[in-house]
Order: sequence, then C-alpha cells, then structure tokens
Amino acid sequence: VTKIYIPSEPIWCAGCGHFGVEAALRQALVNLDVDAHKVAILAGIGCSGTIQNNIGTYGYHALHGRVLSAATGMAIANPDLLVIAAGGDGDGYAIGMGHLVHSFKRNPGLVYIVMNNGTYGLTKGQNSPATDPEGGGQPLDAALLGLAVPGTTFIARGFSGWPDHLEKLMVLALTHAREKRGFAFLEVMSPCVTYNDTYPAWSAALCNLDDDDDHNPSDRMGVVSRCTGLRAEGRIPAGLLYSAPGRALETTLKVSAANAPVHLDIEPARLIAEYRQLLEQMMV
Amino acid sequence: MQGKTLMRAASAKLSDLNILVAGQGGDGSLTVITLLGRLLAHRGLHLFTSRNVASRIKGGHAAAMLRAGIERRGCLGDQLDVLVAFDAQAVEIAGHQLCAQGVVIFDGSSGPVPRQHLPEGAQVLEVPFGRFAVRDLRRDLFKNSFSFGLLTRVLGLPDKEAVACLEERFGKNRKMVDANLLALNMGFKFAEEFDCPERHGFWQLDRAKRQERILVSGNEAMAFGFLVSGGLFFAGYPITPATDIMDWLAPRLPQFGGVVLQVEDELAAINMAIGAAMTGVRAMTASSGPGMALMQEGISHLGSAEIPLVIVDCQRAGPSTGMPTKPEQGDIAMLAHGGTGDYPRIVLAPGNPDDCFELAVTANNLSQRLQCLVILALDQSVAQDLATTEPFDLDGIKIDKGKRLNAGEVAALEEYRRYLFTEDGVSPWAPPGTPGGMNLITGNERNEFGQVSTAPGNRKKMVDKRARKIGKALDLLPPARRWGDAKSKVGLLGVGMAAGVMAEAARRLAGRGCAVACLQPRTLWPVLDETVDFVREHDRVYVIEHNAEGQLARLLAGAGAPFEKMRHLRRYDGTPFRPSGLYRAVLDGEGAQ
Repeated sequence: VTKIYIPSEPIWCAGCGHFGVEAALRQALVNLDVDAHKVAILAGIGCSGTIQNNIGTYGYHALHGRVLSAATGMAIANPDLLVIAAGGDGDGYAIGMGHLVHSFKRNPGLVYIVMNNGTYGLTKGQNSPATDPEGGGQPLDAALLGLAVPGTTFIARGFSGWPDHLEKLMVLALTHAREKRGFAFLEVMSPCVTYNDTYPAWSAALCNLDDDDDHNPSDRMGVVSRCTGLRAEGRIPAGLLYSAPGRALETTLKVSAANAPVHLDIEPARLIAEYRQLLEQMMV
Repeated sequence: MQGKTLMRAASAKLSDLNILVAGQGGDGSLTVITLLGRLLAHRGLHLFTSRNVASRIKGGHAAAMLRAGIERRGCLGDQLDVLVAFDAQAVEIAGHQLCAQGVVIFDGSSGPVPRQHLPEGAQVLEVPFGRFAVRDLRRDLFKNSFSFGLLTRVLGLPDKEAVACLEERFGKNRKMVDANLLALNMGFKFAEEFDCPERHGFWQLDRAKRQERILVSGNEAMAFGFLVSGGLFFAGYPITPATDIMDWLAPRLPQFGGVVLQVEDELAAINMAIGAAMTGVRAMTASSGPGMALMQEGISHLGSAEIPLVIVDCQRAGPSTGMPTKPEQGDIAMLAHGGTGDYPRIVLAPGNPDDCFELAVTANNLSQRLQCLVILALDQSVAQDLATTEPFDLDGIKIDKGKRLNAGEVAALEEYRRYLFTEDGVSPWAPPGTPGGMNLITGNERNEFGQVSTAPGNRKKMVDKRARKIGKALDLLPPARRWGDAKSKVGLLGVGMAAGVMAEAARRLAGRGCAVACLQPRTLWPVLDETVDFVREHDRVYVIEHNAEGQLARLLAGAGAPFEKMRHLRRYDGTPFRPSGLYRAVLDGEGAQ
C-alpha cells in the first residue's frame, strides 16, 4: 500500500461541537461503505475549515466563502465522487451567502455541512450572521431561507449534542447526494465552547421534529409554517426538515459517472471530424 | 434628388476598401457589413471588420466597419472610401474620416446631409431609403437591403452577387427573401438615377481567386482552441467584451460531453472552474477588467494550490466600469502583478485570431503541464474584431497531460506526496477519485503532503519550488512574432491590437526610407529574454500601448529592458491606433533625433 498523509488531529478546543460533526461524518461514511478515494471533502475557512485534514479522504481547503462553488464544479466534472462541502456559519452565511442561495436553486449532487456555532471562532469571537444578538435582532435561519427557494430538495438540522441523531441525518444527506437527488443541506448546531458556549441554550431551544408524528418533511408549506412558528417561540427546529424528490444538477446537464468529463478521451485524433465541422461553420 | 449632378471620379482601381456603415443601434449597420463581407470574401478578398457600439441593446450610435483587400490586414485603414449613413449623426461622427473622393450613401428621410462634416470632394448619394422602405415595403428595417443595393452598385459589383448574398442570408424564409430582394432592387433603381449602372461603380474593386478561408473573431478562435485541446468545463459570468466566449461554447461544448455554466458572479465562476480543474478536467473561465479584479483572490489561490486553469481577460477601457465596449490594454499590471504573495503565472497575449487559437491550445497544455494558471490577455479589439484567415490546423493539436498519476502509477510508489519537491518544481498529481492517491490540496502554505505548515525552512522551499515551475519551462513559452528590418536601429514593440497596426505602419515607414524592426511579444509574463534583448539591441524602441501609464513599458523595464531606450506611444481614448497615426508618430520621433 502506498503511504499517504496521516490524517491530522483536530485543532479544535476541548469540548468543541465540531468533534461531534466529525464523528458523525466518519461513522456515516463507514455505514455507507464508501471508498476513501471516492470521497472529496472540501472545507471553507475557519475552525470548521480543517475537517478535511482529519479523515483520510481527498481534501481541499477552499477560499473563504467559496466552498460551494468549488464543490459544484467538482461534482459536475466527476460525478463519481461523493462531494462533501463543509464550513462554518461565517463562511457560509456571510461571505459565501450568495453561493448558498444559488446552490439551493441549482441543486448540485453534493452535501453541504454547515457547522453553525453562531460566532467567528478562529478570529476570536466576532458576531456572525447566525449569532443570537443581545438586545434585539434575529439570527439568520438558513433552513428557512432554503425553504423559500423553489429548487431546494433537502434541508436538515442536527445538533452535535445528539450524536446518534446527527449520524442518521448525515447518512440521509450523503444518500441524497449519492443518489443524485441533489443538494443536501445539513446544518449542525455546533457550539463554540470558547467564544459562544450555547450548549445549555441550544439544548433547551432545539425541537426535534423527527420525533413529531405530525411533521411531514415533504409538505413544504407545513414545514415553513411549523419552523416559522417555532422560531417565533424562540425554539430551533431540528431533524429532517424538508426532503423532496429531485434531479441533481449534473444529471440535468446529462453528466453521469459513466460519461463524466473527467473520464472522456480528449485525444484530438478521435474527434477531428467533429472539430472540422465546427471549422466549417466559420468558413466564409 | 441630386443624382444627376454628381461628379464621377474616374473608375480608379481599389485594392484596399474601407467602409463604415453607421446609424442608431438597431438600424442594421452590422447586417449591411456582414452581407458585403460575404460577397467580397467570395471574390477572394481578405476581410477585417470591427464594431463600434454603445453599451446598450438598442439605440445609441452604432457603427460597423469593414476593410477588404487583396492583402491580409490586421487593423482598420486610415480613411473611409464609403460611408453608409442612416442618419445625420453618423455623418457628424464619421464624416471627417472620409477620403477626399469618398462616397456617402445617405438616408435623407429626416433631412439633408450635413455637408459641413464632409470633405469638399465627397460625393453624396442622398436617398430617403428609410422612408421608401416604410412606404413601399411596410418596414423600416428593409432600408438595409435598400442601402446594400446602392452600395454594391457604387462598388461596381454584379447585381447577381448581391442577390445571391441576400438569398444566402435569409435562406429558408421565402417571404423575407422576397421582401429584401424588393428593397435591393429599389436600391439598384436609385443607383441608376445616380448614373451608377451595374458593374460601373465609382471604383473597380480588385478581386482574387476565391480561397478557403474562415472569418472569425479572437473570442471565437480562442474558445475553439480551448475546445479542440480538450477543454470540457467553462464557468462564466456575462461581461462585455468576454461574453462571446461563453455564448460560443454554450451550444458546442456539451456536444463533446463538456459543460458550460453561467453562474451568479465571477467569484463563483473562478471557484467552480477551480473545483472542476481539481478533478483533472481542463477548465476555463473568462472575464474583463472588473470581473478579473473580482477573480484576483482565486488567481492567487490557483498559484498557491497548484491547480491548472486557463483564464481569459478581454481587456476593456477602465478604470472601474470604464468604457465596456472600448478596447484598452490597461490590465497588464494587474495580470502580471495582481494578487497576494509570490506565485508562478503565465500571461499570454495573442494579437489576432490565429494567435488566439494557437495560444488557447498552448495555455491549456501549459497549465496542465505546470499545474498553474495561464492567463490569456486579449483586448476588446483582438477579442471582437473579425478577420479572415486560413482554416486552423487541426492536425497539429497535441495534448500534454503533464505529470498525472493513475491508480497503477500511485500503487507503484512507496509513498505519495501531492506537493513533492522536485527538480522542475512540478509534483506528480493524483486527482480526487484515484485509488490510493488520497491527498490534501490547499492554498495555505503546507508541507509536501498538503498539511498546513508555517515552518520557515519548508516555507522557503515551497516558494522556490513553485517559482521553479516557470523558471524551468521558459522554452515552452510562446515566442514573439518579428518582422521588418532586423538590422534597423529603430524598433517598434507592441502587443495585442497594436500588432496589426504596427505591421502596416512599419511597411509605410520602410517605404519612406525609415525601416524598422518590429516585435510582438506573445508571452507577456514572465517577460522573456528575447523581449528585453530586443530593447537592448536597438537604439530606440517605440513601445506602443493602449493605456495612459505605460504599463507595458514598465513591465519591460522591471525585467531589465533599458528604459532610456524606450519611446512611448500611448493611446487611451478608447480607440486603437491607426496605421497613419502610428506612422506619423514614429516619423516625428525619428525626425526629432
């Protein structure tokens, strides 16, 4: 066996919620029996943006806010890969927000894990769009945002304090992407023990809709109504919030594992007749 | 009608025709030029066409220009032989460009031609063709074909060739063909009134044997070059004058299994292209000044993370939003020096469609071989002007895959390090999906495995490794084009749209006993020794560039070219140099010596 890099130890503070995210992701990959070489974990900038170093798959450290763009390009170019984008709430909801909205709309076949700790941890505790601000205002709820975008096919929210539940959501999200149903958005409430210790607050506020028999993840209007209502009460809706059948972007682009751009033979000799036809169109 | 009073010049022979058709956007100026271009190409003439439009969809002054001749030209001529004006504003703007014996075909629907803007000897065919088109054909737009009839008669071209041209253009739609033929015949009829019977125009236009040629813009040629060299992924955001590239690729790349995505902004464009490129797919994005500025972070990232990508900048007049439809070479400094930190990059500068095709292929291969970014620096003129040329050589296309590893090659290694230190700076590359080759890619400084490292020793070695990639590959970079008298003490140096003008000015200078040597560098960055040597080897070198601050001259000086030998010819009014302007500027400069 060729020796490769040894996965790093996490850089996170003891007690950080991100440990829970990493554990759930590892276990989900094991449960689904995915080969390491077929997994690419792309991460943004921030504490969350180091998770790709720890697992032993292909990894990429994206520019701040651009992880979804890079992940989309990768998922289209090689749909044989299981593409997992990860990042924090600053990365995804502030500098990268434009791409999130368009990812919901485009529905590329990939998983996006947002490790939401409601703060900028790596730069020592500035407010993020998801911070619950003291003295008024509302944190941004990306799940509600996603529900407003017509192309959305999968929205889930977990909690790093609920490991078994998170593992289940992780499996659902990975499956959604693998089966080319599209963009699986999984937000994990993942407290920052150093700058924004929300364990007690979030433990009390989170409401797991997976335990609620009235919750129907395919009823978008019902989900919007329920989530909006919970938010108004200061609660945080969690679970598989919304799931719809869909076709991943790469499928609509007629790209599949069998004919992926990455596997195409580009030797000019093979295609010269077609190239000549294009040249013909330029003749005057 | 003033037809009968026209003074007919003797039917002089014309081997280099310059014509401009202008009016309001939507008047159809481009249609007339396109029709005439086809007709003249069939007569074996070379074409060069250019557009001058306001940045809006309809309305605003719009002009289309055509140069046709026996010889191949890389720019517009100095003066107009014919001006087709759909309104008085067209004469006000372009009238002064008319040569002494020039002809104006003027739509007098809204009033008489403003003669004060024309040279004294100009001859005017004034017909209210817009009004006639509406009255007799019920549609203003038919004035195109009307004026085309007048125009072909003025040029002494056979009617049947004009008819054939219209039929080809409107082909399948019989009603459109018939209506346009009616308009064309009205044009012929009025030509008779101006004493312009068939085949007896104001000039006798030269002709040659018809050749197999293509008529292509730089943008199209470049997109085609990307495609035939295996390009399969393009992400872009619309911006003038780069959008043509996306528009050209969008219907074509998917035929070859590729993908074209129009995305939400330039940040998404470059990062999506990065994502695709990391898998080993050949990817490209394209933009212009403002979009390139947004892409700067991604560009530095490519350099650091060692990801191959081709990036096109169709430079337009800046700064900021500037003049979107006007050419400039004002991004040179940004392309060569922009971004954060030190990283290897290659900037190539094509000067015509042939260069665009060739350098797109080169860029695609170089980026793969060196695992770095290659920027193609066009300018609006090179990007959008059309020129005839020989069909591109498709048999010569080679694919260079560089140091790509497959599963078997990885398995044969004892150890795999993505950023392995190597003599040529390029590390073997196992893209995601390769069994056994798992690795980490990052724009952070890292060790050979791709793990973040700020250790001073490693850092220095990594910077040096990346720099080595270019240093060891200088022989692969496209050489300059040279012409003129190599032994002359005087040199002309210019890139992109300056090349064609320079060539023509040099010929005229030689005719005046002032032979010059010309150099068109095609590798802008790194500055090659041949470029520096060119400045060293001549007493004076006129550096021709389309920007105010001398970005090209500074680039050369920074690479060691003696600044004191440079003479600066700079233009930044949104129009390219014309041959006579350049010729006079050099003559003046030499006279002052």
